[in-house]
Formats: sequence, C-alpha cells, structure tokens
Amino acid sequence: MKIALKTLKRYVDIPVPVEEMCERMVLAGFEIESIENLSDSMDRVVAARILKIVPHENSDHLQICSMDVGQSEPVQIVTGAQNIFEGALVPAALHDSHLPNGVHITKGKLRGVESNGMLCSGEELCLTEADYKGAGVHGILILHDDVPTGTDMRIVLGLDDVVIDFKITANRPDCNCILGVAKEISVVLGTKFTRPEPSYHTAGGDIHDLIRIDVENQELCPRYIGRMVQNLKIAESPDWLKHALRTCGMRPINNIVDITNFVMLETGQPMHAFNYNELAQKHIIVRNARSGESIQTLDTKSYELTPEMLVIADGEKPSCLAGIMGGLESEITDTTTDLFLEAAKFKRDNIRRTCRSLGVHTEASGRFEKGIDINNTGYAMERALQLIDELNAGTIVDGAIDCHDVLPTERILTVWSKSINDLLGVDIEEETMVKILNALDLPTVCHFGFLTVQVPTIRDDIEGRADLAEEIMRIYGYDHIVGTPMRGTVRRGRMLPERIKTNKVKSTMVAMGANEITTYSFISPKACDLLGLDENDRRRQAVRLLNPLGDEYSTMRTQLVSSMLTVLSTNYNRKNESVCFFECSKRFLPESLPLTKAPAEVPTLCIGLYGDDSNFFTLKGLVEEVLHDFGANAYYQKSAEPYLHPGRQAEAALGDDTLAVLGEVHPDVLKRYDIGTRALVAEVYLDRLFALEQKAPVYQPLPKFPAVSRDFAMLCDRELPVGDLQNAMAEAAGKLCENIKLFDVYEGDQIPKGKKSVAFSVTLRSKEATLTDEQIESASRRILKKLEALGAVLRQ
Amino acid sequence: MKEKLNEILMAAKEAIEKAKSRQDAEDLRVRFLGKKGELTAILKSMGSLSAEERPLFGQKANEVRAAIEKALAEKAEMLKKAEQQLRFQAEAVDVTMPAEKQKIGSLHPLNIVLNDMLEIFQSMGFDVVDGPEVETDHYCFEQLNVPADHPARDMQDTFYLTDTLLLRTQTSAAQARTMEVTKPPIRMVCPGRVFRADEVDATHSPVFHQLEGLVVDKGVTMCDLKGVLEQFAHEIYGPETKVKFRPSFFPFTEPSVEVDVTCSECGGKGCRVCKGSGWIEILGAGMVHPNVLRNCGIDPKVYSGFAFGIGLDRLTTTRYKISDIRLLFENDKRFLDEF
Repeated sequence: MKIALKTLKRYVDIPVPVEEMCERMVLAGFEIESIENLSDSMDRVVAARILKIVPHENSDHLQICSMDVGQSEPVQIVTGAQNIFEGALVPAALHDSHLPNGVHITKGKLRGVESNGMLCSGEELCLTEADYKGAGVHGILILHDDVPTGTDMRIVLGLDDVVIDFKITANRPDCNCILGVAKEISVVLGTKFTRPEPSYHTAGGDIHDLIRIDVENQELCPRYIGRMVQNLKIAESPDWLKHALRTCGMRPINNIVDITNFVMLETGQPMHAFNYNELAQKHIIVRNARSGESIQTLDTKSYELTPEMLVIADGEKPSCLAGIMGGLESEITDTTTDLFLEAAKFKRDNIRRTCRSLGVHTEASGRFEKGIDINNTGYAMERALQLIDELNAGTIVDGAIDCHDVLPTERILTVWSKSINDLLGVDIEEETMVKILNALDLPTVCHFGFLTVQVPTIRDDIEGRADLAEEIMRIYGYDHIVGTPMRGTVRRGRMLPERIKTNKVKSTMVAMGANEITTYSFISPKACDLLGLDENDRRRQAVRLLNPLGDEYSTMRTQLVSSMLTVLSTNYNRKNESVCFFECSKRFLPESLPLTKAPAEVPTLCIGLYGDDSNFFTLKGLVEEVLHDFGANAYYQKSAEPYLHPGRQAEAALGDDTLAVLGEVHPDVLKRYDIGTRALVAEVYLDRLFALEQKAPVYQPLPKFPAVSRDFAMLCDRELPVGDLQNAMAEAAGKLCENIKLFDVYEGDQIPKGKKSVAFSVTLRSKEATLTDEQIESASRRILKKLEALGAVLRQ
Repeated sequence: MKEKLNEILMAAKEAIEKAKSRQDAEDLRVRFLGKKGELTAILKSMGSLSAEERPLFGQKANEVRAAIEKALAEKAEMLKKAEQQLRFQAEAVDVTMPAEKQKIGSLHPLNIVLNDMLEIFQSMGFDVVDGPEVETDHYCFEQLNVPADHPARDMQDTFYLTDTLLLRTQTSAAQARTMEVTKPPIRMVCPGRVFRADEVDATHSPVFHQLEGLVVDKGVTMCDLKGVLEQFAHEIYGPETKVKFRPSFFPFTEPSVEVDVTCSECGGKGCRVCKGSGWIEILGAGMVHPNVLRNCGIDPKVYSGFAFGIGLDRLTTTRYKISDIRLLFENDKRFLDEF
C-alpha cells in the first residue's frame, strides 16, 4: 500500500522524520517495501518569468530570453521553442540542474550566445496533461499557477513529498487503506489521529422515485448501498486529490471517478459510479450472470460470462462485473448528468474465482479478495457524498437504499491478563494492556485481572488470547522478549533409522570420492523417451502436476537416472574431465493412476560417473561397498535396462530382491543427453537395502597358522561367467578357502577361438593347524575336479 | 714390551683415523684385534715375562684393546652417519612437486549446513522427524489454520497433484502429523524439501529446503522461543550474534514474528550483505496458533508451544556467499569441490 507522507499527515500527526516513523512501523508489524523521495527526481528547476525576448542573430529559430528567476539579476537563457511570450511564467532549469529524465543541464553557448540554463517542456519534466494542465502541449510548459519567481518547481508540482510503500500482512485487510495505516501510525507514535466525520447537504427528492434495487444473490452480496447524485458537474479534481491518487499509484480522471477511487484508498471500501442515464429501466439487479451473457468493461475488453459470476445488471443486461470492474456503457463521461453510486460488500472467494477465470485484477477486486468490513460500507458512502458536496460535483438526492441482512456486531472477548503474560513470558501491567488495546480501537476494560475487549468487525482476525497477546506485544515492543534457555528433561534428540542409514550411505559415497548432487523432484515427461523406456514400462506411470511451471518440470520422477544424466551432461559440456556423483533422493511411485492416494516415496541412491578410465567394474566397486555396508552379499546377474549398454549391465540381487541396477550408459542414450564419453550409472534401491536386518560385527580371531597360495590358470568357454568358476572353486575348497583372487583373463593369440584363459590365486588356511601337504593337495584336486565339471581345463 | 703396546695403540689410532669406509675399519679390526692380529701376537709373547710383570702387562694390553675397540666403534658410527648422509642427499625429493591427489568426495553444501543444524537441535533435545513431500491439503493447510478460502493461501502458490494432494509448500505440514501421534512434551525438527510455484531466478527456486521446529509443552512461552533461537544463532553465526523479533503474520502461529540476526559479515554495523541495516532475516516463527493445537487434539488451555521455519537454501547461500541459488541445483563438479 503506497501512501504519500502529505496524504498521511491529513489524518495523523507525524512529528518525527519519515525514516524513524518507518522503523517504528516495522517494529509494529508493517514492513516497509520502499521509501521514495519524490523531490529526488529533479533539482534547481524553478518557476521563472520571461522579461524580454530577442531573436538570435545567427539562427532563424533560436530566441534569447532574459529571465527573472527570483535572483537580483536577470539570467539569460537561449531557447528554440516558439510558444513563449514576454510575461509568461515557465519552468527554467538553471546551471547545474537535474531533470527527472536524468539530463544534467549546465551553462554553455548556443551559436555564440551564452545560455545559463534551459526552459523546460512538460515532457522534459516527465509530466502529462493529467499531471499538469498544459503539460501536453508542444513547446515550453506555460505555468498557470501564480507563484513567485524562483519557486522550486517541486513545490509547484507537489513533488516535495515522500511516498512510503507499506507491506500489509494478510491478517490486516483493515490496513489496506489510508485510514488504517494512519491509525496504526498514530498508535505507534502516540500522536493524534483524525478520522473524517462525513456531513453534506442534500437537495431533496427521493432515491426510491429514481431507481429500484434488487439483490437476488444475498450470499454473494451481503450488503449493497445505492445513492443518487444529480446535476453532475464533471471537472478536473483539485490538486490535493490528484496528488493523493497519483502517489497511491492511481491515475486521476475526473472529479467523480477520482472521488470513488480516493474513498476506496482512504477507507478500503471499493465504490462504483454508474452513469444513471444508461441504466435500462432504472433498475439495479445484483445477480449471477446468465449463460451466454457478456460484458465490455472500462478497459474496453469484452468477457464471456458464466453463471458462477456475479454481475450488477440493469433491467436488461450486465452493467458491471460485481466488485471487479465497471461496464464501458455506464461509464462516467464529461457529459454524464446523473450518477448512481454504489458501495457494496461482495463475497471474497467468489470475486477471487471470477478474477482468476477472467484473468482480471483491479484495486477493487484485490480489496474484496482480502476481505472488507461490512460495517464500513455505509461510512465510505457517506464520505464519498461529503466529497461530492465539498467539490461541488453535483446535488445529492435524499434517501439511501441499503440492502442487507442482520449485520454482524462486535465480538466480546474476555481474557485473563495473566494468561497473556504466561504465553509471552513477560510481565506487562494490566493498565498497560488496557491502554494499548484502547489505542488500537479495541475498547477494553479490566476487572479483577480479566480483560473484556470489544472487537469490532473490522478486526475479525482477533479471535482470542493469542491474538490479543500479539496486539499488545507488537505495540509494547518485542525487545521486551528476553530469551530463556531450554527447560525440561535432558536427552539428545533422536533420528529416524532411515535418516541414519541414508547418512551412512552418503558417508561411504563421500569416502569413495563421490560428490553429492541435488536435483529437482519433478522432471520432463520426455525423460522416459530419452531413456528409451518401453511403452508399457511402469516408470512411465508418473504423477503429473496439475499446474506445473512448464512441461520441463511437470512429472514427479519415477527414476533418478535421467536427472543424473542431465548433470553428467552439464559437467561434460563444461569440460570437467572426470566426475563421480551421487544423489540420495526419492522416487515417486503411484499405486495407480489417476491418483487415489499419495504415491509411495521410495528412497533411492543414484550414482553416475565418467572419465578417469572408469568402467563397469569401477561402478560395481562403488555399488558393492554400499551394499556391504548393510551386510548385503549380493550376486550379480545380467539385466536388461533399455538405457544401459546391453553387454555391460547387471543387477545386484539378494534372494528374489533386486538391490541395484548398474551399468554403462547405452550409446544412444549418451547421444540424446549430449554426453561425448562413456558414462556409468547405477540406481540402488535403498528401501530394500534398509530393510535388511542389521547385525553389529562380531570379532573374528586373527589367524594363528600360515596360509598357502595356489595359482590355477585354465582355459574355458568364452561365455562361461568368471563368477561361476569362482563359486565352484570356493565350494570345492570349503572351509579352507580364505580368498580367491582373479588375476588374469585373456583372449586372443594362442587361445583357441571361443575360449578364454582365466587365472586365479587361491589362498587356503586352516583355523586349527598349519595345513599339511596332503590337505593342500586334496583341496587342489577337489578344485580341479569342480573346474573340469564346468568345462575348464588347466593350462600346462 | 710396554713400548710395543703403545706403538700398536698409536699405529691403530693413526690407521683408524685414516679409514675411509666401513670395510677399511673392518680390515683394521682384523689387523689389530683379529686372531692373527698384532695385539694377539704380542699377547702370545707374554709367556716371556716374569710373574710380576705379567698381570701388569695383561692389564695394559686390555686397556689398549679397549681403546682400539672404542676408536673403531666411534669410527664406524661416524662412517655410518656419513654414508647415511650421502644416501639422504641422493634420495632427497622436491617437496614443492604436486601431491598425489587423494580422491575424497563431498556432501552437497545444503546438506553440510543441514547436518550442522541437526547437530545443534539434536543436542538441545529435538527429535529429527521426516515427512512426505507429497502432502494432503489437510496437513499442509487445513490443520495449520489455513481453510480453503483463507487469504493466506494467496501467500503461497502451491503445486497440486489432485484436488487434495499437493507438493508441500512448507515443512510445517510435519507439525500437524507429529502432534496427532505424539503426546506433549514435543520437541522436534523436520528438515525437508518444499515446493512453490516460483519461476527460477537468482534468488528463487520452485524446489527449496526448510527446517521446521516445534516445541509443545505446559507453560512454553515466547521467551523460550527466543532462547532456543538465540542458542541456534550463537552456534551457527558465533556467540556474539544477537537475535531480534519483528511482528509478522503466519496463519499457523499467533503471535508471529520474523526473526533477524545481527549480520555475520559486519557484526551489525551495516554492510552490503545486510543492505546497510546490520540485520539479516533468517526465519519465521511464533507461538503455535490455538486452532492448530486444537485441530491436532491438544488442548490449548493446557499446553502452549512455539514453531519456527528456517530456509536452508538462504542460510547456505549466505554462509558460503553463493550469489545465485541456481548454483545449488546445477551441480558443476568445480562448484561441489569447493565444499
């Protein structure tokens, strides 16, 4: 809410500098968005009178003016304008002056003749015809105010003012107006507040003879007041009114429209002025729009209306979008003679819905949406009539039509003063509480420690003890709240097992050199195509946002791989040579679509890397360490993820559960993500990992007897998995097997086609005694036998 | 004979002095003290001495032997040191050459800050709870005193999944969930990811992170709230940090305050970071609204409580002086390696 200091001072005494007032308002709950000093816009521009005009010898259009700028000697200024005359009062920018358009004026010579400044046009002072009459003409602005020469133009134009933008919180719709803010300032500063007391003359007649009002939908329009004004004299508004409107951010139009706008700014109650002559059948009907009806509004736009929308119709058609904007047809123009004036309360969610569906927002609709006081509607109407009377804008017809049900009355609250102190942890005297609440227009008395407070309807945010505590505290001052240390039972806070386990995963990943990344939870639906997922892949069953910021962020991710690939791509294209990333986040898996209940949020680890000669086994090493942390001794088998290289991918499984899927990214997918190098990704399903039973490690005695190593080099089918050989050997060696280490796999020269050479080093050890040659031989024979059974032949 | 011994000693000392290697020293040991050495030879001739002279000579011979041995040992030690010295010189490395890089990863800066915060609150007895990111209208708004047509809903543009399911706009949703299942005293924090329909720019992201705190017990006051937040601010920003309350409005707390701390950059004098005010806004807080307590089955006549919500992203960007919030979600390795 923007308000000029001059405007505020019409209602409240402000004996302190504006900065101090603003600081104190902040401490009372009103943030200041901005303080704009209008006089910063220009300086050293004064009202000056043209004493004499002489033509320039070396120019056919320049003229030399001798100017009275309020100094002892006249000042010579050269101008190219032709609309000037001797005796005219004009704005003159003196040497070293600044104009609102940013121009700096200094003295100089124009074709050899000294010029000590510049005469200004309206445009050069950033003025329009609406700001100052005559500002729109081509040429120098001729001032019509009779001010002494040398008067600062900022004073002439009313720019010796400061505009303050107050941020009004949603619980204080009563402060979306000048009176509300001025009242708060008076309480904060402890100064006098003056609320205008409306009074005006009427000219007889009876409104009931002129118009009929029917409110058909009282739920959406709980109050509707109509008044009539005749013999309108449409004119320009006085300067104070135009200034007040402009500084609040509204454009002055004419006295009637300006009064309705000003009363809205002053009281918070939107008003609307109808051209009475245009109202068909002299009948006002507050009703829902009918299907097929439309309206052209003041901004000349046309809207198709639907039956949920409320309109103010005349006897034939909608004449106004209720609470939002008037119709063009019943607009007040220079020739309007009779006025029907409306002040009403409309239901806020209905206004909000209509505004949303039509995409219109106005000062009026904003106020209705935030909520206005039904008991303030009459005051606003009276105030508007007072201004019409004061400005001689027309004659007021006797009688009002005021349609409403029983009006709500003030709420009476009784609260124990001690309970307020108890909530705040302070010790404020009862008398102080009473004083503060009374100052805030919350009439309060205190009996036996109990505060009885009358809360007017304008403050329907105040419901009980907590609200009163806030009102008292924000005026009393929050600096009186002094911190007390934590009290109560002493124990360290607990953490959920899932978070503890996730932290463990993260520590392991960091220890292995991976950087943690953070990506959005919603992704583009196109990700599924980029990954090449099948038409019926379950991951395509993703939850969609109803109102996403764009397609790019429109589905809740069902996998983390696409986000990881995007990050790998960013890094690759920024020439980061090698990266190893991980993310612990959630996959959102709906049970069914459309959603009937919240989707499962499944904790998942995603790993992604490229560069540094990393390969499938680098990734397998990372995955394996994470699985081992949770005691999962998984087996690896080929998998069939569409986004992974068909020959270089696996799933890590335990029993029937897949714990992880890992592999090299499919070259087609790399291309789609614009990654120009081999990359690897894995998804580890943390929910399954976390579900595994966790056992604390049990100490294994260190070996007492020596170990023996035996190497086995063999030839076998190329397709035979090394893992099968290894398992077979382990089984054969049984209890004596301490370790089996693969140290060579070779295909090529000297190896028959379709075969490979595989070499292991097997470590044997007994816990009971030093192994005998016999034991070693026997174990070796068992191993050989198992290997032969798999078709592996020992190499000689 | 005695002279002979002295001559041997002199000769040995001179030779040892001249020895250039450990081998030289060993050769001298053999020459003088070995089985066929000079001292042994002269001892063998001891038989020619009288019974009176023999012990004296023996004693003298032993002294000579000891002296030679000592000289040899000293020489050997010296030579060993000299040899070692040469080796050290030969093996010396250029310490300014680059280190062998160790591969250590990093947590995301948001989580470094979060872990610090959780540590502080856990040590103050706050349990850490987690809530779902997909919330119901009920927990995100209604239980928090934000009914369907409440103007406060204008304050947050919510992403909806269905009419009643949405992406939580605030971790406050966890308040209601906790209060429904936990009897006071309650002391919890809930960190997490939240969502608002903000277009992406340097200071806004549709995805961001909060930490919600809630305390409910008998006799909890606003001074207790300030005490906890002071403790937190001291741990995060340093023990000199001051905390200021400014009245504000949130539907789920009453009274509500914005909480400022003295600018950690200038200590409150005013600088570019705090835009000259000396204060930085770090969180919103307040006393739990009686309607919220009531909605969750807690009698506001018996219990009171406070709640606060801290923006993690803002705390992270100010702590590390990160100029653009988008950097947090871009995940450039060079950025991540800085933490």
